[in-house]
Amino acid sequence: MREERGPWYLLTGLVIGAVLGVLYAWGLQPVQYTNTTPASLRADFKDQYRALIASAYMADGDLVRARARLELLKDQDVYQVLAVQAQQSLAAGKAPQEARALGMLAVALGQSPPTLPAPASGSPSALPGGETIAPLAPGTQAITLTHTSTATLVITPSGATSTPASQTTQSGPTLAPTITLLPTRTPSPTPGAPFALKSEELFCKDDLGTPLVIVQAYDAAGQGVPGVEAVVEWDGGESHFFTGLKPELGTGYADFAMTPGVVYTLRLAAGGQIIPNLTPTECEAQDGGRYWGSWVLVFTQP
Amino acid sequence: MSRWIRFLLAIVIGAAGGLFYGWVVNPVKYVDTTPDTLRIDYKSDYVLMVAESYSADNDLALAARRLALLGDTPPVDTVRESVLFAERQGYVDSDVALMRQLLSDLQTWTTPLGTQAP
Repeated sequence: MREERGPWYLLTGLVIGAVLGVLYAWGLQPVQYTNTTPASLRADFKDQYRALIASAYMADGDLVRARARLELLKDQDVYQVLAVQAQQSLAAGKAPQEARALGMLAVALGQSPPTLPAPASGSPSALPGGETIAPLAPGTQAITLTHTSTATLVITPSGATSTPASQTTQSGPTLAPTITLLPTRTPSPTPGAPFALKSEELFCKDDLGTPLVIVQAYDAAGQGVPGVEAVVEWDGGESHFFTGLKPELGTGYADFAMTPGVVYTLRLAAGGQIIPNLTPTECEAQDGGRYWGSWVLVFTQP
Repeated sequence: MSRWIRFLLAIVIGAAGGLFYGWVVNPVKYVDTTPDTLRIDYKSDYVLMVAESYSADNDLALAARRLALLGDTPPVDTVRESVLFAERQGYVDSDVALMRQLLSDLQTWTTPLGTQAP
């Protein structure tokens, strides 16, 4: 008689055990978020973290450290994220300094490969590809940075103690054995004399679609200058934009989309000549058709 | 083996299976967290960034707002904790000095309303 009852009680036991496990995990000992990493932050907090990284970069000029900090956020395309955030910051009416810092950092990253870090022992250092940037607590993987006279960055894992699996601390980063460095270009605007308007021309190209004000800023050596802030004003409005946020078009390039029928005035935030009466102007195609042209303003430093 | 023992054994196996699933097969993924949950070394680096920015703009109110992201703890306590961590971990002197300067200024900071900042 007893044998006919079958093994169902075992299944019942399994179900009860699983339920007890879930109750323990959710009720008695719920997950507590501690020791998290910047990569897990909510999107808006990541934006603020990114803006702070850019602000710190503007203060200390340490691109390697800024790059390492950005890598903690694990963005797919760091440059793109920075550039988009800079433009969103401007559009949202936040402080122009924030957008400028984000833009400058984006440009610097777009221009410059990893550079040698200042190998200060124990300091929160830039670790390209690394997860932890501050000196590590016991039990986590330590990393040392050294560089050789041939300008290579060697990242060597040290400290064999592994991180306990029960902690949320992430395990050590995947380390490339050697990163060969390339020459670094200066990412900051050329200091010195203010920009002067060199030329103002109507640019007719029918595949642009939207009429633009295009600003091109060059230093005395003819190199494009990123991070130059332009201010465009119209009746009832004002907007700021920066050179260098579209490096594929040149580091000194910036543009602003005009609305037909609106008259704009442009000036560089650093001062200098005011360019009035910028308004979308039509160009004529070879077949007699008409399309919007764009104004190209070239600024140079004497 | 009695039925009760086998029953209890099944419960244990079920619980172990649940834990294995929760910890190994499909572990917790941390998303959408807030800055106050950051690990101490990340928090300290955040504070260092605030201190670096503050050294350039001297905007203590902005620094305090940035520090407020790190939770309900008063900014002074947050910075003090980070300074201690930095000293313990051997941050370079210049970085510690920046953090100390921020701490010092926060301790004597009076808000525009005339009240001592937290």
